Formats: sequence, structure tokens, C-alpha cells
Amino acid sequence: MLQIKDLQARVEDKEILKGINLEIKPGEVHAIMGPNGSGKSTLASVLAGHPGFEVTGGQVLFEGQDLLDLKPEERAREGLFLAFQYPVEIPGVSNMTFLKTALEEIRAHNGLPAFSAKEFMKLLREKQDLVEFNTSLVNRSVNEGFSGGEKKRNEILQLAMLNPKLAILDETDSGLDIDALRIVAGGVNKLRSSENAFLVITHYQRLLDYIVPDVVHILSGGKIIKSGPKELALELEEKGYDWLREVETTE
Amino acid sequence: MELGIFNNTYSYLSEAFEKEHLKERSFESQSLLAKRAEAFQLFNLKGFPSVKNEDWRFTNLNKVFKEDYQFRKQEPAFSSSTGTIPGLKACKIVLVNGKVSPELSDPLPEGVSFLSTEAALAEEAYSGRIGAIAVQGENAILGFNTAFFKDFYVLHVRAKKLIETPIHISHHFTGNTEAALIAYRLLVLAEELSESTLIETFHSDLQAPVFLSYVSEFSLAESAVLHTHWVNSASEDLHLVHHREVEQFRNSIFNNSNLSLGNAAFIRNNLNCRLKGSGTETNLLGSYVVNGSQHVDNHTIVDHQKPNSNSMELYKGIMLDKSHAVFNGKIFVQIDAQKTNAFQKNNNILLSDQATINSKPQLEIFADDVKCSHGSTVGQFDEGAMFYLRTRGISEEAAKRMLIQAFVAEVHSKINISALRDYVSQLLQTKLERDNLIIA
Ligand SMILES: Nc1ncnc2c1ncn2[C@@H]1O[C@H](COP(=O)(O)OP(=O)(O)OP(=O)(O)O)[C@@H](O)[C@H]1O
Ligand SMILES: [Mg+2]
Repeated sequence: MLQIKDLQARVEDKEILKGINLEIKPGEVHAIMGPNGSGKSTLASVLAGHPGFEVTGGQVLFEGQDLLDLKPEERAREGLFLAFQYPVEIPGVSNMTFLKTALEEIRAHNGLPAFSAKEFMKLLREKQDLVEFNTSLVNRSVNEGFSGGEKKRNEILQLAMLNPKLAILDETDSGLDIDALRIVAGGVNKLRSSENAFLVITHYQRLLDYIVPDVVHILSGGKIIKSGPKELALELEEKGYDWLREVETTE
Repeated sequence: MELGIFNNTYSYLSEAFEKEHLKERSFESQSLLAKRAEAFQLFNLKGFPSVKNEDWRFTNLNKVFKEDYQFRKQEPAFSSSTGTIPGLKACKIVLVNGKVSPELSDPLPEGVSFLSTEAALAEEAYSGRIGAIAVQGENAILGFNTAFFKDFYVLHVRAKKLIETPIHISHHFTGNTEAALIAYRLLVLAEELSESTLIETFHSDLQAPVFLSYVSEFSLAESAVLHTHWVNSASEDLHLVHHREVEQFRNSIFNNSNLSLGNAAFIRNNLNCRLKGSGTETNLLGSYVVNGSQHVDNHTIVDHQKPNSNSMELYKGIMLDKSHAVFNGKIFVQIDAQKTNAFQKNNNILLSDQATINSKPQLEIFADDVKCSHGSTVGQFDEGAMFYLRTRGISEEAAKRMLIQAFVAEVHSKINISALRDYVSQLLQTKLERDNLIIA
């Protein structure tokens, strides 16, 4: 589904990604862990097409297509989704209009007819139940005045509505209490299928207890320095990032 | 002399005043004719204001005078569109090229009357007020209108009347085949304890350029409440110079929204509120979304003269292409106006390197116990919001539209008549759909 080959990127003059290699197949869940500032969010931003980052080398194929050639909205329509580490507040844009516009653009791209208002509301209610995010969205602007946890749940609600092939979750677990974490993880698990895939960025093993990954990668200094089975996350949590530095110097 | 514009239109007017204009006005009272003569003298001396005049520094009337304008014979004409606001229950008054069109106008509810030129001028109580609220002073634009206005309308709301149905004056400009001057004025009297709503919309067909001089004078007696909205959706041909002077007495409330969402080539609005009594409230909302080579200039004055009055002003604008907008907002707090609360905000977004905004808030405070704040910002779109929308599959152009709408929504959402709010958002949508928003 996703093949990243030797991806390098920078912002202004700062090299951040220094050659990332990663392959994700349908049905898989990959986790990325790593210290603050190691480039996790940068990788997510580059994959989503953030214009502030310059790709200086490498290649990314998404479903066989050159992802880096596409605009952010085209990537989304092809089935890529990023749940932001810091979701943006957009005062004056209603959540409903936003969700409906997004859904229609993606459906139109896939040759599907527009939903009626009734069908849309039905789907919305269903997905709101799934993420147990039942605050009324009708009169609220996108993320405006949402608590940290509500913003994260709103990301997962969008994920559920848009039903992407590949979802990147950037620290969706941070800022969630244990109940919210269980709900969000439960939502993701219900959305998992053999057709889609997840790339989960996190600092904590506790999320991976709920969303069990097939592969764990450790990103440090703009490179993946180690990949392994889910036990790698446990090992990392036990030994801390100091152990990582040793790994880095020995490899 | 050097501050003025003395062009062909000026020369035409100088000639026409006695030879043509006064001849038509023989039915008017001596006092009005004297007022006209005095006004003409001022205009004749000063000409149209040029950019050397401080109040016109950023707005060059020479842009308007690419054509030579003249008063054309204006018969009451029919306009194809009547400017109806869908879903709004209103009493409509239709003015076509400044002439009232009785067939297109509705009867008014009890407690409010609308008088047209002859009837209005026949009453000294009305004609005597001309230029008494909007005092001409050194203002040649006011002088021009007082000297040359052809029509005069009066809207009079009687004491203690609550007029629930909004009155909708629809201004149409149509069928002009040569560059046309049109000048008229409106007097609105809201008596004590009355409450009413006046909506004004401006429409034009594509035609020869029209230069409209419109002066409106408003007087709000003690405890009167008046809600006014003006929405300009005219097309390119309209060049509007509008002066509105509002006087407010004790405990009166004046709310105005001033929205420029059409394609008029040139708009200059002066909105002056003189708060002559204590305990008044004034809320001024404004929005302007301009593109192409449009020029929209909003000058406002909120003049607190007595204690305990509140004023709030919020104007927001978006400039695309080579458009130019001006915001000049003055707040005066006079020495007697203790306990004044005055707030003013002007926020702008420039969406093109070639667009211009001149925003100048001014605060002059002569009293010591007051709360005032003002601020003006010019920015671009929040790139983070733009990216967020795009990662959800929304095109750059649609995202831009959403953010433009969101930006002015802070103003439009405060319009408390839902049909008008819908109309305004539809106008904005139409404007945004027609224009290509991707700017290199
Ligand atoms: N727009 C930017 N301008 C300058 N530097 C940036 C920008 N974005 C990220 N960086 C820098 O790039 C590096 C990687 O940042 P990134 O956000 O990808 O880290 P991260 O692994 O997601 O960290 P965290 O765990 O704290 O979320 C950091 O040093 C950061 O300061
Ligand atoms: Mg991060």
C-alpha cells in the first residue's frame, strides 16, 4: 500500500528526514516511536503533503502511485488520512459543513453520488456513536473551543467518516485519559480491515496494548534505527531512550 | 483651490446649476433654494475632493471620473429585478434611478410613513431638516448633493410604534445609456420609544457608468431603536458616494450593518454617528469582499458627546486581485462623555500582492473615565487551517472560499434577521463562485 524509499526532507535549511525506508501492506498496523524532535510529525506532514516541507530526495509510492506528485487534497481523495498531533481550530467554519464538504469531495472523486442531508446525518450519528463523541457538532466551528481530548476524538470521527485506506495517527493518544484512550482505540479497531492500514505514532506502549501493531519502528535523528515486532515497544518502554542511543552508535 | 478636482463633470455642473437645475426646482421653498445656492457656492469653490484632501487621501475620485457624467432625463422606469430578499417579509419601497416606483412598492404599516419628493419638500418640518443633521461645513461632497439632489424621501416612524415588519428600500440603477449622474437623499425620523428596521439594498444592471450621490440623515429621538442594514450587490457600473449622518438622543439604540459584497467599481461610505444624548448604544458592523479593480472605502465616525454611551464597531474585509479597500474609523470621546465604552476593530485579509488596504483607526479622547480600545490587523490566511482543510480532500479553492466565508462570518452571523443573513451568505457565495480564487 505504502512504500517509502530513502525519503529525505527539510524545512528551511534544516535537514529533518535523513533517509526513511518503510513499507506498509494492507491490513497492517505499524507503530512509530522515538524521542521528541526525531522527525515523526515531519514524516506525517510530508506524507500528507504539507507545503512547508521540502522533499530533497527519495520516493513514496501509495497504491503504486507517486504520492509526492499529488496535492494534499488529492492524497486525501486517494485514501490517505492524517490525524493531527495538534488539530487546528478554524473559527467560523462549521464542523458540519466541513465534514460534509470533505465527504462529498472524496465521494465525488470515487465516482459516488452526493449524500442527501438525511443520509449524511445518519452516517454521522453512526460514526459519532462509534467514537462515543456525541456532543452536538451542528453549531460549532471546527475544533473551536474543543478540549484536547475532544479535538483528538474529532480527528477519529473524521477518520471514521472519510474511511481512508491509510490512516496516520500522530500522537492521537496524548492528551487522552484512559477511558477516552480505550474509546479511541476501540474505534480504530472497529475500523480496521484487511483492506486498510494504520501508521500509529506514539510515545507510549499503553496505546499499543489496545491497537496492537504488526511492526514497531524506532525513529531517531531522522532515520529509522530499528524495526521489530510489537515487543520492541515494550523493550523501549523498559529501557528508555538511552538504550536507543546505544543502538544508534552500535549500528 | 488646489485640493479640488475641476474636471469636465465639474464644469458641466457649474454651468447647469442655474441654467438647468434651478429652473426645474421652482416649486421649492425660498429657504430650500437659498440652502441650495449656499451649497452650490461651496461646491463651485472647492470642486470634488482630490487626494490632497486628508479625508480622501487613499481614495482617488479621478478613478470615477474617467467618464464625463451628466444628469440624464430619468423617467420612472421599471427594473427587471426587484431585489427581493427570499423569505423576508418586508414592506418594499423600490427606487429606480432615484425615482420611487409606486407600482413596485408596498403599503406601509400604521405608524410609519414614507413621503416622496414633492410631498416631503412641501412640509417645512421635513425640508427644514435637509442639511441640518449632515451639516455641510467644508464638505464639498455634501454641498454637491444639497445643491443638486433631485429627489428627497422621508421615512417617519411615529412615537411608541413598534414596527415589526422591516422596511426594505431597494435602490436600482438601470437602463442608462450614457454616463449618468444621480443624486438624491433620505431623511429618517425615528420618534421616541419607536422601534423599526430599515434594510437598504443596492442593485444595478450592466449599463453605462452611474455616479450616485446619496445622502441620508437619521435622527433617533429619546429611547428610539433603529436597526439598519445596507447591502451593496450592484455591478461594476455603480460608483457610489454615500454619506450617512446619524444623530442619537438619550437612550436610543442604533445598529447598522454595511456590507459591500457586489461588484460595484467604486464605493465610498461615510457613516457618522453623533451621540448627542447619554445612555445611547451604537453597533456598527461592516464587511467588504472586493476583487478585480474594485475600490471600497468606509469612513466612520463615532462621536461620544455625553456620558454613559456604548459603541461597538467591527469591520472585516478581504481584498483580492488588484482591489483596494480603505477603512478609516474615528472615535471621539468628548470632554462630557465620561463612562464611555467604545470599541472598534478592523481586520483585513490580503489575498494578493497587488491588492491594497489602508486601515486607519483613530481615537481621540478628551474625557478621563472611559474604556476604549481599537485595533486594526492585516493578515493572510492561516496556513495551518488551509492545510488542515486540504488534508480532508477539500480543494485549495474550496478551502479558500470556506476561510473567506469564515472570516466575514464573525460579522454576518451578528445579523439578526435570518432571511437577510441567508441572502447575504448567498451573495457572498455567488461572488466567490464567480471569481477565480487561486492566486499565484
Ligand atoms: N516548521 C518548522 N520549522 C523549523 N523547524 C521545524 C519545523 N517543523 C519541525 N521542525 C523541527 O524538526 C524537528 C522534528 O520535528 P517533529 O515535529 O517532526 O518531531 P517529532 O518527532 O514529531 O517530535 P514530538 O515527539 O515532540 O512530537 C524538530 O527539531 C523540530 O524543531
Ligand atoms: Mg510530533
